[in-house]
Amino acid sequence: MHDDIIAAIATGYVESAIAVIRVSGYGCYDILKKIFSRKKINFEDKRIYYGHILDENGSIVDEVLVSIFRSPHSYTGEDSFEISCHGGLMVSNAVLQIVLNNGARMARPGEFTKRAFLNGKMDLSQAEAVAKVISAKSSRALHIAQLQLKGNFSNEIGEIRKDILLLLAENEVNIDYVDEELSDFSKEKRLSMVNNIYERLSSILRASQSGKSLFDGMKISIVGKPNVGKSSLLNKIIGIDRSIVTDIPGTTRDVVSEQITIKGIPFTLLDTAGIRKSSDDVIENLGIERTVDAIKKSDIILALFDLSSQLNEEDYDIINRLQKNSNRVIAILNKYDKKSGLFNKGIIPFKRQIQISCKTGYGLEELANELEEIAIGNIADSDIVSMNASQITILKQGMKLCKDLLNDIKGDIDPALISVEITGLIDILDEIIGKITTEDMLDVMFRNFCVGK
Amino acid sequence: MFYPKRYDVVVIGGGHAGCEASLIAARMGMKTLLITINLDSIGAMSCNPAIGGLAKGHLVKEVDMLGGEMARNIDETGLQFKILNKSKGPAVWSSRAQADMPAYRLRMKHIMEHQDNLDMKQATVDEILEENGKVVGVKTNIGNEYLCSAVVVTTGTFMKGKVFIGLNEYSAGRAWEPPSIKLSDSLRSLGLRIGRLKTGTTPRLDARTINFNALEPQFGDENPAPFSFKTENFNRPNIPCYLAYTNEKTHNIILSNLDQSPLYSGMVSSLGPRYCPSIEDKVVRFYDKPRHQIFLEPQDEGSTEIYADGLHTSLGYEVQLAFLRSIKGLEDVEIMRPGYAIDYDFVDPTQLKHSLETKKIHGLFLAGQINGTSGYEEAAAQGIIAGINAALYIQDRDPLILRRDEAYTGVLIDDLVTKGTKEPYRMFTSRAEYRLLLREDNTQLRLAKKAYDLSLIDKTDFERIEETEQKIEESVYKLKNTFVFPTAAFNQKLKELGTEIIKTKTDLAKLLRRVEIQYDTLKKLIPDLGELNSFIKQEVEIQIKYEGYFKLQYQQIEKFRKYESLIIPKNFDYNKVGGLSNEVRGKLMDIRPESIGQAMRMPGVTPAAVSLLLIYMKRDERKIKSSA
Repeated sequence: MHDDIIAAIATGYVESAIAVIRVSGYGCYDILKKIFSRKKINFEDKRIYYGHILDENGSIVDEVLVSIFRSPHSYTGEDSFEISCHGGLMVSNAVLQIVLNNGARMARPGEFTKRAFLNGKMDLSQAEAVAKVISAKSSRALHIAQLQLKGNFSNEIGEIRKDILLLLAENEVNIDYVDEELSDFSKEKRLSMVNNIYERLSSILRASQSGKSLFDGMKISIVGKPNVGKSSLLNKIIGIDRSIVTDIPGTTRDVVSEQITIKGIPFTLLDTAGIRKSSDDVIENLGIERTVDAIKKSDIILALFDLSSQLNEEDYDIINRLQKNSNRVIAILNKYDKKSGLFNKGIIPFKRQIQISCKTGYGLEELANELEEIAIGNIADSDIVSMNASQITILKQGMKLCKDLLNDIKGDIDPALISVEITGLIDILDEIIGKITTEDMLDVMFRNFCVGK
Repeated sequence: MFYPKRYDVVVIGGGHAGCEASLIAARMGMKTLLITINLDSIGAMSCNPAIGGLAKGHLVKEVDMLGGEMARNIDETGLQFKILNKSKGPAVWSSRAQADMPAYRLRMKHIMEHQDNLDMKQATVDEILEENGKVVGVKTNIGNEYLCSAVVVTTGTFMKGKVFIGLNEYSAGRAWEPPSIKLSDSLRSLGLRIGRLKTGTTPRLDARTINFNALEPQFGDENPAPFSFKTENFNRPNIPCYLAYTNEKTHNIILSNLDQSPLYSGMVSSLGPRYCPSIEDKVVRFYDKPRHQIFLEPQDEGSTEIYADGLHTSLGYEVQLAFLRSIKGLEDVEIMRPGYAIDYDFVDPTQLKHSLETKKIHGLFLAGQINGTSGYEEAAAQGIIAGINAALYIQDRDPLILRRDEAYTGVLIDDLVTKGTKEPYRMFTSRAEYRLLLREDNTQLRLAKKAYDLSLIDKTDFERIEETEQKIEESVYKLKNTFVFPTAAFNQKLKELGTEIIKTKTDLAKLLRRVEIQYDTLKKLIPDLGELNSFIKQEVEIQIKYEGYFKLQYQQIEKFRKYESLIIPKNFDYNKVGGLSNEVRGKLMDIRPESIGQAMRMPGVTPAAVSLLLIYMKRDERKIKSSA
């Protein structure tokens, strides 16, 4: 009965040098064949293969070791493999995401252990222990799910649920009650309902990917007048990160961004090349230009000031330009070690202020904490990140189904088949919007349509 | 007194469930007795004069395939026949017929009277006799005891039935028949949970007082198909129904007299069917709807009594008359029988097995409205299953259980025994998750084997169906393996037929998938394609046009069957399962699902709970193995 393939990050959602993604289920090597760079391998039992995980475009996502455990020589007793990739949530989530996109589903709490038990890989006396793990973890999963539902999206999710139910009920009422005058929805109305569902799904996707996204990483810019210490700050911030993952050329002309992780959370540092370059230039006139650019592109702006001297006109110019976006600004008061007393802190209008010293390292920890706080906000449970990985897949599948649905409604296809698609959409969204039963649908049907001759 | 003749099966009640149950038991060779309160009401239609309808047509055809009588009976007594949803896909086509109510009833009675092995007696059963958890007989209100091995209870709305018309109420089984007062107490004393449900019906009008010229007639199909696969020489009339509409005045009369309604005045608190609301409900809940449809349906061929469909009501007589007369075409109408509401005892169906036998008492089967359903067709479907299983119980054979992926009957029974019901349960196509595969048209193909294995259909019928099935398969194979090429001549033909040309070698199945192409179109292209009868042609078209969707459903079914095949041991101890919430544990212990699949369908049972069940089931298995 366990013929579906499950996957999860086995090492948990913590910052570490290496992360392991475990995949189990018959047919899992078909997934591996699709995503592994070395195509001619037969994946023999108890062997480790070096290679790369590729995304759908064939681009390299990470350099990995893949360990093969063929049935019954695996933790679960099924065919399985483990991908050892670089630690850090961004990479491991990206790899997991690719596995999920290729046919695995996210493992439920305790599911590997459950399979291990059911396949006879565990001692009989462990049954109780497994049971405890499952009930404990599922209540925790529930808790996390509830936490998420309390967030910003709860209204949207409620609306999506309502819309889908209404759409289904409308479709069904016209199948099950034929010769009655029902408030027939026009095709336009049905199309706009599906469009609306699509829009809501994509706005959730956007929100989860930009704002608080833990996947692309929030974008950080460093601004400040020349010689205020931007490049030293940059180096210090990069130093917080134990491993620089990639060095991706940016999309704009000479902007180069760097992906880093701080406290396990990915961030993207924008225009690092510009900072490095300018640090060698005696005459720098890019300061203001960069500030304007940073306001446009960044989620977080680190505005750097020199504690050792008075603020000058350039500083005031930067402050003025940032003022409208002050909620995204962290004022970094550098050169704490050379603090002169000339600096008038009161004049800086930003709520977030951190005194640091790039030289001694003073205040860097506080900066790291502040960045974490902004990225994760008050959602403390780091597992929420893990749910996002599968949820994003689900969201995307849902959006695709909406598109199919739009076409089929436009093409006037058989409502019995439309139902199959709507139900498919519901199945996909079950995890996000909660289970919709036939009874729910009938409730909506009888509430909204005057049936019964 | 002990009645000297001993029966195998006793059926209580002669409605649509009771008729099918007793006929099939007798046909399976059981000495069968039907006991009913009124022999003249056998096969009576207490509500609308119609058989079939959405999802109900499916049930009728399934009953037919299992050796039942309903389909044959309507084929002989219908007044008009129609396929509903013809504009939509074949999965949701449903047959419906208007019935000549007296003719339907009398023919059914006639069939019963001439059935070997079947006796009928007029009496009221007061008590089910039980010994050591097994049914042994029944006892009537005049003290007669009939001994038997199995009992099928099909009491409809009769148990402690109470009729409401305005603020009047009186005890009755149907508006004009006595109730059964004591039987539900007997069932309660056997340990069954009894609840209460409500339903209602419409006023019957005098046809001579209706101005039909002001109304819109509605006919059935011109060349209708019969319900039963056995019906030959089908030739029935096409008598119209008439469409009328309520108006603002009608609604005002109803709204200003709600204090006359037993439902709104609080006299009745049991739950009625939402899918078939009273006119009071419709007017109150959909107050912005300017009009509601009414279908005036003839109750018999002479059309003296007219059923006013869409006007279920329990308002007082005067109010009924007033609002009826506000309707165009009914200005001078006379009521022959008023509409009324009825509430009655039912047995919580979660106390039943899928065989419709009670879990508590061996040999006691329940079918029809007593299980919380509504509708003649739902009753008949349960009746035939209960009748078959009563016979199989006596023969000590495995019960006939239709799964959700095999029949609407399977969906109906599984819903009832797994989820129970809070309102009278009606079948909808949307309740069938494998709707695309459970069609009316393929009923024979779905059920013939099962029916034949139990000798419910003849060998010749079975062989004919098998032959048809083979012919369909061959034709589908042929279409998939006959290729056409993009020659100028062929593409010219395609153009002439108004469809796109082909660019590569193409098989005929692919062409048939095009919306505008039918089998007959292909025949124009390839004249030697072979003649098919209309049924086979239709099946071939459906199978090819819907192939992709069917594949998807087959995959789902495969998954479903896996879980169904994980049987939970009968004596499984839910108390041992650590980690279950008390609520879930209570539900599981109450329903005692037969399989993991059924457990998963129970409301409130989470995937985590199912995991725990699996683990403990596995552990028990290993314990048994290691101790063996």
